[in-house]
Amino acid sequence: MRKIFIILLLSVAFFKPQDLQAQCNASLVTVCSSKLSADATYLKELRARLQPQESGQQLPVARFSLLLNSGNHYRFSICNAQEFPAKAILQLYDQDKLVGTTYFAKTKQHYPAFDFICPKTGVYKVLISFEDGKEGCAVGILSLIKK
Amino acid sequence: MNQKVLGLLLLLGVILSSCNSNPNGESGDGLDVPDSLLTTNIGSDVDKAAMAEIIQNISSPVEMSALLKEEGIEFNYKFLSPTDNIDEFNTNFKQALNLGVLGADMGYLNMYNKTGAVLNYITAIKELSDVLKVGQFFNFETLKRLATNSENIDSLMYISVSSFDNMDSYLRENNRSDISALLVTGVWIEGLFLATQVVKENENDKVKQRIGEQGIVLEQLMIVLNLYKKDKRFFELITEFEKIQKALSKVKIKVEEGETEMVEVDGVLMAVSNSKTSVEVTDSQLKDIIKVVEEVRTYVIKY
Repeated sequence: MRKIFIILLLSVAFFKPQDLQAQCNASLVTVCSSKLSADATYLKELRARLQPQESGQQLPVARFSLLLNSGNHYRFSICNAQEFPAKAILQLYDQDKLVGTTYFAKTKQHYPAFDFICPKTGVYKVLISFEDGKEGCAVGILSLIKK
Repeated sequence: MNQKVLGLLLLLGVILSSCNSNPNGESGDGLDVPDSLLTTNIGSDVDKAAMAEIIQNISSPVEMSALLKEEGIEFNYKFLSPTDNIDEFNTNFKQALNLGVLGADMGYLNMYNKTGAVLNYITAIKELSDVLKVGQFFNFETLKRLATNSENIDSLMYISVSSFDNMDSYLRENNRSDISALLVTGVWIEGLFLATQVVKENENDKVKQRIGEQGIVLEQLMIVLNLYKKDKRFFELITEFEKIQKALSKVKIKVEEGETEMVEVDGVLMAVSNSKTSVEVTDSQLKDIIKVVEEVRTYVIKY
């Protein structure tokens, strides 16, 4: 009985709200970054935690603005948190023009990353969403590829 | 009696748990000052939504250095900002600006595997980030170990870049976006300073092109700085940066828009764009840019 009390006490003492999302937190960034190839230099993380799409509402999307430099070879990688089955889709836009994606709608194929050799310096938009508007958690990693 | 003791212990546990407010779970060294009191109040009237729209990565501590290394340009210690007497930066304004400057220098050192010299920079950055109460995002011991043992340059690079990234995100999310703006400004000016010093001594078209394009980046940076122009120090800083903006505005940039297609190359999915950029920087324009960047950088790093 005393053991149960001690376990209970320790659980309460060390409980932190963020533990509820153990997979969907900073460790996801670490895991995703560790998957970068040797020729990639980490630049930025893009975290997305989205609720499911409600009927009649727009598809939930996490939006980021990034400044990319011309001539640089970038890689956009995406990693899902294990506890959410819906796969994340990362899309790169130059203004309204889609210039890169981790998902091909035609073949319904998901890719863990795509490379982008930036043709012009400027502000680009990154959108992260989850297939069929499901609830999800993912992290996108922007890295620079050595030539 | 036992129930009362248990109740008290549980209550104590809850209190202890809720007191652990440090994001990294580390205990602070000294007084814990709430973030609301740490802001300089410059940015208190800046709309959070407006800040959220701001570009996430205006400047990176490694992108300019990566280009210099790729181009085979030799490392030069004399370009670095000194780390002596950093305690003479006695305002949050100067501390944040120079934290950015030193961050870019650390990126430059790491890129060229100068792990011996990087220790001084790690120490100086730790000192400034502690003063600014963002030291918890800077994994000092790990960085020191990696730098001392030259163990793993990739890890050293990753931890240093992600530390800056996390600091910046934390500052933005905690009503300290004015400090974040200064941090980013420091990183940017130092990156541009490194590049301009390089072309002063070496003819290099790619670096020259990158310098010429910085007007596009500066335009974004000025949007951020102008959010705080009511503050005298920001106003002064903006005035300095407008000199660079004027020099860069003379550069001709031509973009030919083309289509983008997704192809698989050696198992890697690639977005291939047919757009092209050409940048024309005359020698006199370049000379002017170099001079003005030197002046502004001197202004930024002076005590």
